[in-house]
Formats: sequence, structure tokens, C-alpha cells
Amino acid sequence: MDEVEQVEYEQVPGTMLTDSNAICDFLKKTKVQDVLNWGRKNSLWFMVNAMGCCGVELLATGMAHYDTDRFGIIPRNSPRHADVMIISGYVTKKYLPALQTVWDQMPSPKWVICFGDCAISGGPFYESYSTHQNIDEIFPVDVFVPGCPPRCEALIQGFVELQKKIIAKKDKGTEY
Amino acid sequence: MDSKSVMNAITSKFPDIHFVFRESDIRITGRVRAAKVVEVCQYLKEEVEFGHLCCEFGVDYPERNEIEVVYVIGSYEHPVILTMKAILPRDNPEIESVVPVYWNANWYERETHELFGVQYLNHPDLRPLVLTEELYGEWPLRKDYEGFPNKTARNLV
Repeated sequence: MDEVEQVEYEQVPGTMLTDSNAICDFLKKTKVQDVLNWGRKNSLWFMVNAMGCCGVELLATGMAHYDTDRFGIIPRNSPRHADVMIISGYVTKKYLPALQTVWDQMPSPKWVICFGDCAISGGPFYESYSTHQNIDEIFPVDVFVPGCPPRCEALIQGFVELQKKIIAKKDKGTEY
Repeated sequence: MDSKSVMNAITSKFPDIHFVFRESDIRITGRVRAAKVVEVCQYLKEEVEFGHLCCEFGVDYPERNEIEVVYVIGSYEHPVILTMKAILPRDNPEIESVVPVYWNANWYERETHELFGVQYLNHPDLRPLVLTEELYGEWPLRKDYEGFPNKTARNLV
């Protein structure tokens, strides 16, 4: 037993240390990543985080009328179950720490969609004293959905664009 | 009571309240001295049945060097809404809190305190309400607030 414990793993041929990203980095270059991305793009569960008036459209998108389950887009109430965070409104300076906490609670891989003019550029709250500006410098935003507020179809199209980015390996949720 | 008799009732008790104008039969506006606000509110609530403080807010007048605190008080008994204005000096705005009379003034006064810097004396809990701690003390709704045109947003066009 003593001899086994003294073995240095780097000297054993064909082994890789699991505390490095070597396996992941290797798999990203193979077809395995395509299969993984196919699975990820078809299960984009989004977090119900209605932040402003665009949040109403966000809630309506998750209802039965649009039936987003056929794309694998399902509203989840906990950030720990979700893959997509939708910033659906103005981010005030007081709310930003809470939003970052929610973002940290989401397990990887995860994506961000900026939904509505307020989240993209400030909207009517541009040049306000209490809103945080340039959200894309804080969160890795993949898709911007403009509108005030955008329709539910626009959000579904935003999800479709995100799916295209994931398939093309251009998304910011994973480092390729 | 209509607005005229309400005005008469108040001016008979407090002769120094000036009702500057009567907008209509249901709205009257008056100025009150800042030291007498609680006394007037007590009288309004208990004697004239004005039991509902609709809102309370501040207005900044930098050219007159004044801050106005406005009380809008409604009644369930009379079809009259009374607007009461108290004028404070801009460099040291201090006024007695009306929370002992109208309990719902608590959050109105906390918000007016952090946005305009009005100091409410004898307020039960004068903490900031909606702003972050870094913004406290800047009084962002005053007209000479420096950080108001916050031009850090990138031009996306």
C-alpha cells in the first residue's frame, strides 16, 4: 500500500489529473461537444425574474398560449434549476447586488438575454442617477431583444437566436 | 361641508394660515408655518374629520432658496381635498414629523428625507428607504444635484 501512495500520477502514462480542465478542453475539440450543445440548446430553462414592465411579457411567454415547451423553453422558479437569466428591465444600483447573487446561484452552463430597451441602453431611465448602465459589461450577454416592451414572439425569436449561437459554438456561456 | 366652510373652519382656529387660492369646489390650497404643522394636522384629523393623508412630498426652489413640504390631506366625510404647504429654508430644512397624527406618513417622510434632505424631527425611524448607502447625503432630487445627468452610458448607435 505504501508503494501505491507514493506513485506520482504524472509519471503514469495515459492519465490526466481531474482537477484540471484538460478533459473538458479535449472534449470541446471533438464531436462530443456538438452532442452536448444539441442537448443544451433544446433545454433552455429560463428563470422567472420579472424586473420591470417587460417582466409581464416574460411571464406571458411562459404561459400555455405560446407553448414554449415545444422548444424546451420552460420557466423555472429557482435560479438553481435555470439555464437562462433574462434581464427584463432597468437595473437600479440597489438591485444589482441581488441580481449578481442570483447569477452566481445559477449552475453553468448559463446564458443571459437582455430583454427590452431598459436593460439594453437604459430606455427612459437613461442618464438617471439611480440606474446602472452598460449591463453588458457586467454580465456576458448573448442576445439583445429590443422593444418597449418586446412582444412574446420577439422573446421566442431571441431564444431561437441563442439556440443558433449555441449550435455554432459562438455563445458566451462556454469558453471554446 | 364644502370647501368654503372647511376654509372658514380652519381659518377661525388658525388665523395665520393663508389660503392663497381655491382651485375649485373640491380642492383648496393653503400655506402653513412649519412650526405649526403637527398642531394643524391634529386639528384637521380630530375636529374637521380629515382622516386620510393622501401623500407628502417635497419641492425644491433653488432661486427662492426654499424647500416646500407639501401635505395632501383628504377626507371621507367632506368632498374636499386640502393641500397644505410648509416652506423651509434650503440650507437647513427641519420640520416636525406628522407620524404621531398620520401613521402612514412614515415612509413618505423617509423618502422625502433621502431625496430632498428634509430633516424630520421626532421621526420614529428615519432610515434611507429606496436609495443605496453610497447615494445617501447627495439628495438627488434637489435641482442642483451634480450627478443627475449621468452620462456614463455608451452610445450604442
